Amino acid sequence: MEVLTGIITGIFFGIVLQRGRLCFNSAIRDLRLFKDNYLWKAVMLAIALEIIGFQFMASVGWIALRPKPFAPIGNILGGLIFGFGMVLAGGCASGVTYRSGEGMTTAWMAAIFYGLFATASKHGFLKPIIKWLQGPAYKVDVSSENSVYIKGKIGPTLATIFHMNPWIPAIIVTALLLWYVFGTKTSERGGKGFNWYTTAILVTFVAMFGYWTSYRFGHRPYGLGITGGWASVYSTFNGGELNWEGAEVLGIIIGALIASLAAKEFKLRMPRKASTYAQVALGGIFMGIGAPLAGGCNIGHFLTGVPHLALGSILASVFFVLGNWTMAYWLYGRR
Amino acid sequence: MSEVKVDKTLDVRGEVCPVPDVETRRALKDMKPGEVLEVLIDYPLSKERIPANVQKDGNEVIAIEEIGPSEWRILIRKK
Repeated sequence: MEVLTGIITGIFFGIVLQRGRLCFNSAIRDLRLFKDNYLWKAVMLAIALEIIGFQFMASVGWIALRPKPFAPIGNILGGLIFGFGMVLAGGCASGVTYRSGEGMTTAWMAAIFYGLFATASKHGFLKPIIKWLQGPAYKVDVSSENSVYIKGKIGPTLATIFHMNPWIPAIIVTALLLWYVFGTKTSERGGKGFNWYTTAILVTFVAMFGYWTSYRFGHRPYGLGITGGWASVYSTFNGGELNWEGAEVLGIIIGALIASLAAKEFKLRMPRKASTYAQVALGGIFMGIGAPLAGGCNIGHFLTGVPHLALGSILASVFFVLGNWTMAYWLYGRR
Repeated sequence: MSEVKVDKTLDVRGEVCPVPDVETRRALKDMKPGEVLEVLIDYPLSKERIPANVQKDGNEVIAIEEIGPSEWRILIRKK
């Protein structure tokens, strides 16, 4: 059930990512480089809906929330490195994964190096360096409270800092996000992909289904993720077992492959300059180091951790954005 | 195929995101008003984003034609 539900979640996620063209690298970068907020709005709406969705599922006992630790040095440093990496790689963690399924050979290259270095950073020779660079990680003990969180120590959230009922910050932040999403002008975009709010609503359903199945069958109290998934896929070469997240990553590739074939958008795409492969490989290496250092990627932190209102995820996400804008300006914004 | 005189062709098939978008913008910058730019792309996201962005800058999208499996030709007239 663990692998099966992981694959099912991944396939749905891959279809939604491909049809929605939902790449966080594009979403973040377009905001500044092209003054285009189309995909950014999809991300913000998905986060707003997930806050309520996760909170609801935890309140009725379907899941228990496990906010990631607050490790400010790691969150900031890793966030920047990951932010640089996604621009070089031409896609974020989910972006290079789903684009691999669309036949983009540069995404294969980026994903291979991202997975290799993520594995080395999480389990291999880079692990001690990452641990040292990360600095102190803060957690709070919530085992005495009868709450929506797992028993034991968790990363601090807006609710734990202010000692409030988690519904209060959840409703306030959701309201602010909805006000931004529907109260400001959205960029126009044609084409035959999903529109931004359809993408956001479907992402929320996938995220909720994923959290529940990962918690229930994967013995992994958390929602969608990518970095740990790639590490799990690589570990199978050494006789390791594929976990829920690893199955989810494989599912994303399958889902994107199915969706792009059905829409006649599958194609083996190759750049004319071979040096592009070196650039995306370097981007993959940055991402493979940055994500474990930050404690997660754009899916583990941005799409899943921010809806927990976890401090570490919010901080890391801010630096994903700053790292992305810096590298995008350097590569594409000048002149 | 549209019978329009093309002044410049940009082949950005296979390039990583957002190279097609950026190169299109750079090419248009160097062209004279009224000239036509032909952009060859193979990525669906670019096909949707390039027309939206060049129009925002006031340029005219003359045509978006499918020239192969997941390959398109966009014709843009500089304002």
